[in-house]
Amino acid sequence: MSKTENILDLIDAGIKAETLRQKAIANNIANLETPGYRRVDVKFEELLAKCLRSSGEFDLSEVEAQIYRPKQTPVKSNGNDVNLEAEIGQMIKNTLRHKTYIRLLSKKYNQIELAINVK
Amino acid sequence: MVAGVFESNRDQKGTRKGTEQMKVNSSFDPIDIAISGLRTQGKQMKVISSNIANARTSDAGNGEPYRRLEATFKSDDDLGGVELDKIVTDMSDFLKVLDPGNPMADENGYVAMPNVSLPVEMINMNIATKMYQANVAVLKRYQQILETTLELLR
Repeated sequence: MSKTENILDLIDAGIKAETLRQKAIANNIANLETPGYRRVDVKFEELLAKCLRSSGEFDLSEVEAQIYRPKQTPVKSNGNDVNLEAEIGQMIKNTLRHKTYIRLLSKKYNQIELAINVK
Repeated sequence: MVAGVFESNRDQKGTRKGTEQMKVNSSFDPIDIAISGLRTQGKQMKVISSNIANARTSDAGNGEPYRRLEATFKSDDDLGGVELDKIVTDMSDFLKVLDPGNPMADENGYVAMPNVSLPVEMINMNIATKMYQANVAVLKRYQQILETTLELLR
C-alpha cells in the first residue's frame, strides 16, 4: 500500500467513525427521557491504535467503527443514563475532530492537484 | 480520544516528584472540565429546587419538617474538573411559626417549619446560574480557539 493511499484511507476511516459517532450522540439526545435507555458510544480510536501497533500489513477498510454501550454512567431513577451536558460535550469534540479530518482531506487533495498540474 | 503522553514532575496526588510519565488527555481536556462544571451546577440546581419546593413542607415523611439540603463539590486531581462530592443535610434549627389552627401545632400554637430560607436559596440559585454560564463561556471560547487553529489548515 502506498503512502498517499494510506493517508486518504486514514482520513476516510476517521470521517466515517465521526459520522457514526454523531449519529450515536443524536440517538442519545433523542432518547434523553426514554425509560431504561442506556447511552451508546462508538469505539474507533482504540481499534485503530491496536491495528497501528500490530506489526505487518493491515487493511484500513477492515477497521470498522463499532457501536457499544459503555454502561458506566450513573443511571437515573427511570433507568436512563443519558446526560445532556455530557452529550453536548461529546458533540463539540466530535464536530471539531470531523472538521479537522475534512480540512486535512481537502489539503491532501490540493496537494495531489498541485502535483497533477506541474508541467 | 487519543491519549497523549508528556513528561510531568508531579504524581497523581499533585505533589512534586521526580520526572515520570503521566498520561493525559489530548487538547480536548478543557471541554471535559467545562462539561464537568455544567453537570455539577445542574445538580446544584436540583438541590436548590428541592429546597425551594419544600420550603413549607412540615412533614418530610419521618414526622419532622423537611431539612434543607446542601451540595458539596470536590475536584479529583490537578486538572480533573469538578464533581459533586455529597449532598448533606443542614442540621440547623427548624423555623417556628405561630399557627394555632394548624393540626400539627404544639400546645403553644407553634408549628415547626423547614430550615429553608428563601433569600439564601435565591442567592445560591443566582450563583449556580452564573457558574453554569461561566462554564458555557469557557466551552464556547475554547471551541473558538480550536477553530482558529483549524483555520491554519485551510
